[in-house]
Parts: sequence; structure tokens; C-alpha cells
Amino acid sequence: MPTRKVANLARRLWMKAPTRASLSWLAWIGAAIVLAWGAAGLVTSGRTEAQLVRGDPDAIPAQAPLMRFAVTHGAGVFKARCASCHGAEGKGSSARGVPDLTDADWLYGAGKVSDIEKVAYYGIRAHNPRSWNLAVMPAFARPVPAAGERLQPLGPGEIAAVTAYLQARGGQAADPAAAEAGRRIFAGKGGCYDCHANDARGDPAIGAPNLVDKVWLYGDGSRLAIFDSIAYGRQGMCPAWAGRLSALRLREVSLYVFALSHRPGPHPDMSRP
Amino acid sequence: MTPPTAPAAAPPLWDPRQVSARRSLSLMALGALIGLALAGYALFTARGTTTFHVPAEDVALVNQQPIARADFYAQLQATFGVDSAHTTPAQRRRVLNDMIREELFVQRGKELDIAATDPDVRTAMVSAVEQMAAADAVTSQPSDSALQAYFNAHQDRYAQEGVMSVRDLVFAQPADAAGAARALAAGAPITATLGRFRGRDSGREAAEDFYFAAKIHLGAALFAVARALPSGAVSPPFAQPDGVHLLYMARNAPPQPFAFAEARAQVLSDYRNDKVKRTTAQYQGFLRQRANVLVAGDLR
Repeated sequence: MPTRKVANLARRLWMKAPTRASLSWLAWIGAAIVLAWGAAGLVTSGRTEAQLVRGDPDAIPAQAPLMRFAVTHGAGVFKARCASCHGAEGKGSSARGVPDLTDADWLYGAGKVSDIEKVAYYGIRAHNPRSWNLAVMPAFARPVPAAGERLQPLGPGEIAAVTAYLQARGGQAADPAAAEAGRRIFAGKGGCYDCHANDARGDPAIGAPNLVDKVWLYGDGSRLAIFDSIAYGRQGMCPAWAGRLSALRLREVSLYVFALSHRPGPHPDMSRP
Repeated sequence: MTPPTAPAAAPPLWDPRQVSARRSLSLMALGALIGLALAGYALFTARGTTTFHVPAEDVALVNQQPIARADFYAQLQATFGVDSAHTTPAQRRRVLNDMIREELFVQRGKELDIAATDPDVRTAMVSAVEQMAAADAVTSQPSDSALQAYFNAHQDRYAQEGVMSVRDLVFAQPADAAGAARALAAGAPITATLGRFRGRDSGREAAEDFYFAAKIHLGAALFAVARALPSGAVSPPFAQPDGVHLLYMARNAPPQPFAFAEARAQVLSDYRNDKVKRTTAQYQGFLRQRANVLVAGDLR
């Protein structure tokens, strides 16, 4: 019966000018379609959200529809929570020691979604028991370079020597004698090898940066910037969002950050010198 | 005889121009059904309510206490060193069982009030609550103007360490020290001056040093004299228990304040640390305020 009514209505609309009654029918049908469409949207969105949260984070980037959904929603979370430090484009700032999230260089972990998500959940030195908090860059020009560590301060000449060593390793011009003295301090008295590894290539398990690539978290790799990092220390911080953002929002923003560094096209050259 | 009137035709159900009791009742019933459905959904899925449905973000509920999926994946990674895509069902089962076991024991621990007796649990709980209070403080991002104001108020903290290169020369007689001071001020080499006036280098300062290190090496009294000397200057002789000392300042670079832009990262870190301290203190104050603390008479 309703089918016949709808068919008659359609025929009348097609054959002649609509009457008031047919217009009211049309309004009811329109409202029903909008309601049905809204309900379907809610159900589909809810199902996608559940898939997103239940899925293995590292497997999601291979699923284009899920990824699109996450990136669209994650952009809003990033803008509201992360852009104040990392910038709207996620490019960071080496003047402020804020990492660039669009390149292929990762300070903590290997840049997998699960690595990013861990930072989003628990932060870095964020006063959360699960945050990344294993190491800080000591301030070797202070009487106690790092609280709780048995490290001796270094003299200005020693810091200058380590600076020369790192500049030489990075392919910059440096006094060979000073660089050799710096190498010995790096591998000995300074204890730099303990975090940055013997080859100075860092350790992503504790967030110790690679010192011989072309990426500098603080400054531009100049003598002064390296000297200041060694002399006065560094200890950046990223807030923990666990408990403040839902699992869904954290997953979305993690996937958005992952997408920032996996855009089509070549990445900046991160090759080792 | 009047012909029987035909019963009035019922108004069309969905014609909005005419009042229809049937339509009103139908819409009201539909609204009630939708309301009930929403209430039921919310009732059985809201956090903290008893539910038989495991939320998408969790892998299990143990007495309604969720085990987060993110923690599960992290535990898998930590236990087996591989990402979750490469774990076997047996490995997943093992980790899940371990996490359920842990949750059960934690819940039992709370029932038994283990924190009342176990000092390690107490320490861990104090630390965890402190960190939780602090985490609230570090989540907000201060504005540049707030950081600038903090920098201005604590500018003495943000300076490069001073650097000095000084020689501490010791003489047996005041007259020798005075002669050496004159010779050095006139530009005589240190080694020759020491030989001529029978002096020696104390060896306390051999190379360029930061101020704090020079203070440790020279002692507070000598450092106070050294700090005031400009580059190339010689101090007046002054007596110490081991002889008469002269300080020759080869280079003295006093501490230079950092500009705000150079110190911004450190300012942000200090700003947050101060905020953490304030927040923790306020938190403690709040807890004390709402607590009923009775102190024994002899300790009041």
C-alpha cells in the first residue's frame, strides 16, 4: 500500500504540478531520508571508530579508508593539543628544541604508529610513571651536570674539544687535534657514549639523538649551538594525554602524526655523512 | 426521517495541515522508543557501570575494571620484542592472562589494604599521586608573554657560566711577591718572573675554567680576588698560610646573560617545574584541608 502511494505520488509529481498534499508527503519522505541518512552515518562512524581503536596500530596505515577517517579527525586533535608547540604544520622549531614531525628522523622509537602513540599517551618527561624519562642531556658547565648521575663537569676547553669532535663527525671543518681530544672525552670522562653510543649515532630507545646526521634538535649544528647544548644541557618535555584524551582521539592523532611524515614524495636527505 | 449521516472520514494520518490524534500518538511512541534506546545504550556502555560489553579501547574488563588495549600492545612489545602484528595467538593469550592476573592481584591488594602495611606500596602510591598532580600542571602550554615575564623575573638564572684563565703564584717573601707583581704588570713572562723572584705556581689552576670550578680550585678568598681582575691584570700580593700569593689573570670573561630566545627552552622547563611544585603544594593543602587529622597531645 505505501509503495503504491509513493508510486502514485511520484507519477503525479512527474505528470503535473504538485498539490499541497503531495508536497506534504514529499516533506515527510525527505525528513525520513535525512533521519535514515543520519542514523546510517552514526552507525558507520561508530563502526569505523571501533575498528580504529581495536586494530593493531601499526597495521592501520595499510587500510586506506581507516587511515583517511583517522587523519581527518586527528588533524583537529593535533591543532587543539599539539600545534602550540609543534606548529600547525608539525614542523617544530630547532630554536625551541621542538622536533620536526614531518621528516623521517625519530628521536624516540622508529616512527611506527605504536611508538608515536606511546608518546601521545604518556609523554616525555611528563611526570607520568610511564613517560619516556630515562635520560636527560647533562649540563657540563654546571657544578652538578645531572642530578643523580656520577658525572664530572667539563672545562670550557674540554667542551670545545667535544664540539670539535662532533663537528668533524658531521663533516664540518674542525681542528683535528681538538677533535681527537674530544673523541677521548666523548668515550671517556664525559660519558657521552653512554647515551649517544660509541659511534655517536644515538639510541632511540632512550631518546638520545643521533649526533652525526644532519638533523639537529637544538640549534643549527653550529659550534656555538653544540657548545651550548653540552655546556647547559637539554631536557625537552612533551605532555602525557592519557586520561585527558580518549583512546580514539589518541589513536587518531597518532595516525595523523604518522601521516605527516609519510606523505608522498621524497623526504629531506637524512643520509649519514 | 433524516437519512443516516455517513461517518466522518478520519483525517489523513501524515497531512500536517490537519490535526491527527493517531499521528500525535505515533510520534510520541516513536520518541519514547528512541529515548529508551538511547538511555539503554548509555546505561550499558558508560564508564563505571556494569556491562557485558568490552569497550573497543579495552581488551578485557576485570570486575568492570578495564585493561586498555594500548597497554596490552605495549606489554606484548615489551615481553616478546615484536610488534603485535608478528605475535602468535599463544603469545597474545599469555600476555592477556598475565595482565588479567595482575589486575586481579591489584584488586585483591586494594581489598586487603596492602598500602597500610607495605612501605614499598606506600612509597609507590605517594610517588604516583604526586606525579599525577604534576602531570596536570605540565599539560598546559604557557604563552610566550607568560614565559617572558618569568624570564624577566628570574634573569639571574639564565646566564652563561663565567670563564677565567688565571695563574696562582706563590712567593716566600712579601718583597719578592711585590717585585713579581710589578714585573708581571710590566709584561714580563710568568716563567721568567717566577725564576727571578724565587716563586712557584701553586698548580691550583692549570687551564681555562668555569667560575664554579675556579672557585673550588682556588678557594673562596682567592676566587673573590680573581673574579674582580680584568684580563691581563695582576692582583696585589696577599698573605696566605702557605706563602704570599699573586694572581695573574690571563683571561676573564664574566657571565653573560642569555637573551630570552636563547634561554626559552630552559625557561619553559623551569616555568613548568615551578608550576609543578606549586600544584603539588596546593594538592597537599587540599588533601589536608579535607582530611580529619588528629595528632597526639604530646606532639601537638
